Amino acid sequence: MTSEPIDDQRAIALLRAGDEQAFEALVARHYATMMAVARTYVKSRAVAEEVVQEAWLGVLQSLDRFEGRSSLKTWIIAIVINKAKTRAVREGRSVPFTALGPDEPAVDPSRFRRRGEIYAGHWRTPPSAAPDVVAQDRETLWVAMRAIADLPPAQQTVMRMRDLEGSSADEVCSTLEISAANQRVLLHRARSRVRAALEVHLSA
Amino acid sequence: MRDHHLTCQEIVELVTDYLEYALDSETAAQFEEHINFCDGCAAYLGQMRAAIETVGSVEPEDVPQETLDGLLVAFREWKRT
Repeated sequence: MTSEPIDDQRAIALLRAGDEQAFEALVARHYATMMAVARTYVKSRAVAEEVVQEAWLGVLQSLDRFEGRSSLKTWIIAIVINKAKTRAVREGRSVPFTALGPDEPAVDPSRFRRRGEIYAGHWRTPPSAAPDVVAQDRETLWVAMRAIADLPPAQQTVMRMRDLEGSSADEVCSTLEISAANQRVLLHRARSRVRAALEVHLSA
Repeated sequence: MRDHHLTCQEIVELVTDYLEYALDSETAAQFEEHINFCDGCAAYLGQMRAAIETVGSVEPEDVPQETLDGLLVAFREWKRT
């Protein structure tokens, strides 16, 4: 199975030709993000799985109508959102992507000096300096992968699109139909959580 | 606009806006001034950048075999029609 990125037109041509490896590669590339998107709308992982399956059927059935105005990825995610919304309505649930949930501090408040103390709001337990060369060993990557998988679905979606897949902020906003400010809040929470999970691995 | 020094606790909440160039120029200047003088926050910013780099190296998770099998059946079905 190839892990090289293939461009959209080529991927579509291969799918039309019935290339199973190309299909598998495409599924593998988008599966985690599709699941995260689906889970922002539906409750259980099992239902999200069904939504993702339905979305792939939708992708295949309307492949001839893909005009390349957006990227294939954007188009696929839009189909997932569509299927997930339909499913959420049927479940009597409607959770807009814009629901950010309660505020959460980027860093455990106990690591800062408390109000009333001298230097209130400044570090009590500062982080150690990051190494010059970032560790990319298996364990570090595994911890990162776990931390990403544990993120709430909306945060996970934004982080996967931005930091794993390299989408631009604009692309994420238009694909998910969220404001630039909300996109940044979700990215901030995701990155803050992942940094915290990786902290011991990121200390020089 | 605001005439007070940013605390470290405020800095860690501004890091993403800073990295996304979303701070107004005055706050960005205060942010940078703080980072220049505060080892803890400089370390925090470094860790944040390192975390983003690490996340960029994470491979997509494996698709559960059952899901993949189901999708391949659907793909073959679609191919025939």
